[in-house]
Amino acid sequence: MKNAIFIVLQIFFFWVINEISYKIVGFLQIPIPGNVLGMIILFILLVTRVIPIKYVDSGSSLLIKHLAFFFIPIAVGLMALGSVIFDNFVAFIFAILGSLIVGFIATGYTAQKLS
Amino acid sequence: MKLAILLFCILITLSAYLTSGIVGKKYPSPFTTPVFFSTTVIITILLLADISYKQYEPAKEIMTFLLGPATVALAVPLYKNRKILLKNLISASFGLIIGTVSTIVSAIFILQLFGVGQVLLASISVKSITVPIAVEVTMGIQGDPALAAAFVVMTGVSGSMLGPWIMDRCKINSPLARGLALGTISHGQGTAQAATEGELQGAIAGVAMGIAAIVTSFIIPIIFKVI
Repeated sequence: MKNAIFIVLQIFFFWVINEISYKIVGFLQIPIPGNVLGMIILFILLVTRVIPIKYVDSGSSLLIKHLAFFFIPIAVGLMALGSVIFDNFVAFIFAILGSLIVGFIATGYTAQKLS
Repeated sequence: MKLAILLFCILITLSAYLTSGIVGKKYPSPFTTPVFFSTTVIITILLLADISYKQYEPAKEIMTFLLGPATVALAVPLYKNRKILLKNLISASFGLIIGTVSTIVSAIFILQLFGVGQVLLASISVKSITVPIAVEVTMGIQGDPALAAAFVVMTGVSGSMLGPWIMDRCKINSPLARGLALGTISHGQGTAQAATEGELQGAIAGVAMGIAAIVTSFIIPIIFKVI
């Protein structure tokens, strides 16, 4: 029980950082997503030891383990775009898959060969 | 009635996700990755039950509430793996930039072969970055935001589904390279997939996703001036 409350508090803390970051991004008009800025802010807090890692470890593990879950409802949204997709289906499939293969091999190979 | 639909939508989404975990462990393949498997199951059930996407949307709002905080939480594994990242900073930077440019150019090139219009080209060019930025960038080059968002989601689903498989075939097995490629090419969904491979992969993918978005927003206007 104590553990569960601790994790909820951690997630609340991530939420606060996230909200603040979106406000900053909106205010300064910088071209990065608010949640990515939030990630950078939390990273800085950890490196400078303002926040000790043990206070955020278990909450972060839980959220990251289920990160894929959050993208399922978003992907369901594809069902609303049926007609545009069907009209150009073959072109889209080739373009998406082709650029995917090129992109994965280019990124992966470069990073692996150079390191 | 509305509440019943809402609860039903949440229930099928949770069940599909839990099932994907069990099925994916037993039969690992691109078709049993969480997002592809669950989305296919959910869309099928919604169509059968005659529930539209509009009716599903309130459930989506509730279930994606923690997506932002979850992205913020990626700072923790990033912090734990900071030494590895620092050691490979140059190779990671090169991989990210080359990957971003090549995936954009190849997508535009292939669509051009099919003779589609400028709006489609502008919309697909932002496919590898996260939705909020993709929408902004595509509007700057006269793309269609809704279509761009659809391309982003399709790239996310197919990339998290096929990315690990493509890299297995090409013997790209360093955790750093795999995480980097998943985040660079398939943004948040790729990052989620990378996180299932390991902590380091997930952390690297999270950073790559953010930097790829920034790089893309800078180079897209340049690419569209050239073509």
